[in-house]
Amino acid sequence: MAKPLPLNSEQPNLAELQRLIANSVMRPLASGDRSHRANAEVAAQLIKPNDRLDSFERLQLYNQQYWWRILGSFREDFRGLRAVLGERKFERLAVAYLEACGSSSWSLRDLGRGLEGFLREHPELIAPHGALAIDVVRVEWARIIAFDGPEKPPLDATKLTGVAPEHLRLELQPHLTLLEVAHPVDKLLGRLRLAHSEANTASNAVAASQSRRAPRLGAKLSPRPIHLAVHRVDFAVYYKRLDPEAYRLLSALRAGASLADACQTAFADSNAPSETAAATIQQWFATWMRFGWLTN
Amino acid sequence: MPASRFNAFTDHGIGIGLRVPHYQHILEKKPVVDWFEIISENYMVEGGRPLHVLDRILEQYRVVQHGVSMYFGNAERPNRDHLQKLKALTRRTETPWISDHLCWGSVDGRFTHDLLPMPYTWEAVEWTARNIREVQDHLERPVAVENVSSYAEFHASEMTEWEFLCEVVERADCGILLDVNNIYVSAKNHGFDPVVYVDHVPVERVAQIHIAGHTNYERYILDTHDHPVLDPVWNLYAHATGRIGRTATLLEWDDRIPSFDEVHREALKANRFLPNGKALAA
Repeated sequence: MAKPLPLNSEQPNLAELQRLIANSVMRPLASGDRSHRANAEVAAQLIKPNDRLDSFERLQLYNQQYWWRILGSFREDFRGLRAVLGERKFERLAVAYLEACGSSSWSLRDLGRGLEGFLREHPELIAPHGALAIDVVRVEWARIIAFDGPEKPPLDATKLTGVAPEHLRLELQPHLTLLEVAHPVDKLLGRLRLAHSEANTASNAVAASQSRRAPRLGAKLSPRPIHLAVHRVDFAVYYKRLDPEAYRLLSALRAGASLADACQTAFADSNAPSETAAATIQQWFATWMRFGWLTN
Repeated sequence: MPASRFNAFTDHGIGIGLRVPHYQHILEKKPVVDWFEIISENYMVEGGRPLHVLDRILEQYRVVQHGVSMYFGNAERPNRDHLQKLKALTRRTETPWISDHLCWGSVDGRFTHDLLPMPYTWEAVEWTARNIREVQDHLERPVAVENVSSYAEFHASEMTEWEFLCEVVERADCGILLDVNNIYVSAKNHGFDPVVYVDHVPVERVAQIHIAGHTNYERYILDTHDHPVLDPVWNLYAHATGRIGRTATLLEWDDRIPSFDEVHREALKANRFLPNGKALAA
C-alpha cells in the first residue's frame, strides 16, 4: 500500500487544485491568446505530460469535452432560438451565456433557467431579433417545465359543492405555464418540429441528423398579444392558445385570487352580458378540468 | 463478489442501461432482462414522462441506480438538496445498492458535468472517504464507487490510482463498481498495466462490474460508450471475474445507441468470459 510522501510545497491543496482545473475546463475554447496562456500555465503546473500528449493537450481534452457536452445540451433545449438566430449568432450567444452563468445544477435540464434574464441584460446578443428571441426562450423554458415539472392530484369537483365562489381558491398545476407573447411562437415551434421530423424521415443516420444545421425560421409580430398555456397531457407537452379573458382568469387564480375575484378580473374590461360570460367560463372550466389543470 | 453486503446480498446477473430510445420496445415487448441500471439524475425530477416510464419499468424489472454527479471527490461536502432528491428516488426504485464515480466535478456550485480525475493524494483520500460515508449514511443503502477513465494525471499524486481506490474504499467502508473498460482506457492513456490494477482490487468489495465500448484515437483513447465492447476489454473482464467471481455485470451504451436487441446481445456476451463457464442470469 502507498506510503504517505512529503507534500510538494509547490502543489496546491485539493480545493485550490479543483478550482484551477475547473476554471480551465470551463474557459471558452476560442477565447484568445491570454486564455490559452492561462490554461497552458495551469496545465504545466498541475498535469503530467506523457509520451504522446503534453500537459496542455491533456487539459484541453477536458476543456473540449466540457464545451461539446454543455453546448450540445443547450442546443437541444433551445432549438427554436437557434432557428431564429441562425447557427453563428446562436453559438456566440450560447458561449457568452454559458461562460457567464454556467451550470449551477447537477442536471443539464436546468441549464436554461437564467437565459431570459441574461438576454434581457444583453440585448446585443439577439439583435435584431430581440423581442422574438425572448418570446421563444420563454416558451422553450416553459416546455422544459411542462415536460417533467411536478403534478398535483387534479381537482375533485365533488368537493366544491356548497363552497361559495368568494371563498373558493383553486390552484393550477405546477407544470402549467401561462405566457403572453407578441409572436406566434407556438406556430414557429410547430414548423420547426415538422422540419426536424421531415429531416429525420429523409435519413436514418442519427449522427447525421443531429449535426444537421438548424433551419432558419422567423415570425412576424402579432397584431394582438397571444396568450399561451404550455402544459402536459398524458406525458406529452402542448401549447394551447387562450382567450385574453381566460388568460386573466387563470393568472388571477395562480396569484391566489378567489374564484369570484378571478372571474371579475377576467371580464373587467368586457362588455359581454353576464349570462354570456358565465356560459363561457363554464365551458373553459370544463376544458381545464379535462386537461387536469386545476388542483386544490 | 456475487452476493455481499456491498450489493445487499443480491445475485444480479447481466443487465443493461435503461435508455430513452429503448423505452417503447421494453414497455411493449417486455423482453427478458435480469435488471436495468438507471442514471439517477435522469429521474430526479418531479413528474412527467421520465417517472411514468420508470414506474412502469419498476412493475416488471429490477432496477439499480447509478449516479453521475454526486462527485464524492469534491473538496466540499455533498449537496443536501441533491441527497434528499436522491434518497426519495431510492425509495421509489428500492435499489439494493447505489453507485457513483470516484471523481470530482463541481466547484463553488458550478458544475462541469464531467467525471474529472482525482489527484491521488492523502488529502483527497480523506475528503473522498468522508463524503462517501456521509452519502452512505444519509441514503441508508450500500454505496459502490466506480473508477473513472481519465486523460490526465496530476503532479501532486502520491500513489497509484489503484492504491487510491483501495485507501478510499477501506476508509469509507464502501463497495466498488469496477469498470474494466475504464481501467483499460486509463491504462492505455497513462501507460500502466491494466492487469496489475485489477490484481490490486480488493475483490470482497466489488459489488458490480461495468463493461463498455471505447474509441481509439492516434494518441489517446476516449471512453465513448458508443461501440460494442472491444476484445482487450473482454479479456480484462475475464481476468477480473476470474479473481472476483461471478458478479453483477452491466453494459453501458450511451451514444449511437443501436436497437435494444443488439445492446442486449452484446451484454450477454459477458457469459462467454465467466469463470467455470457458468452463465449469469440474464
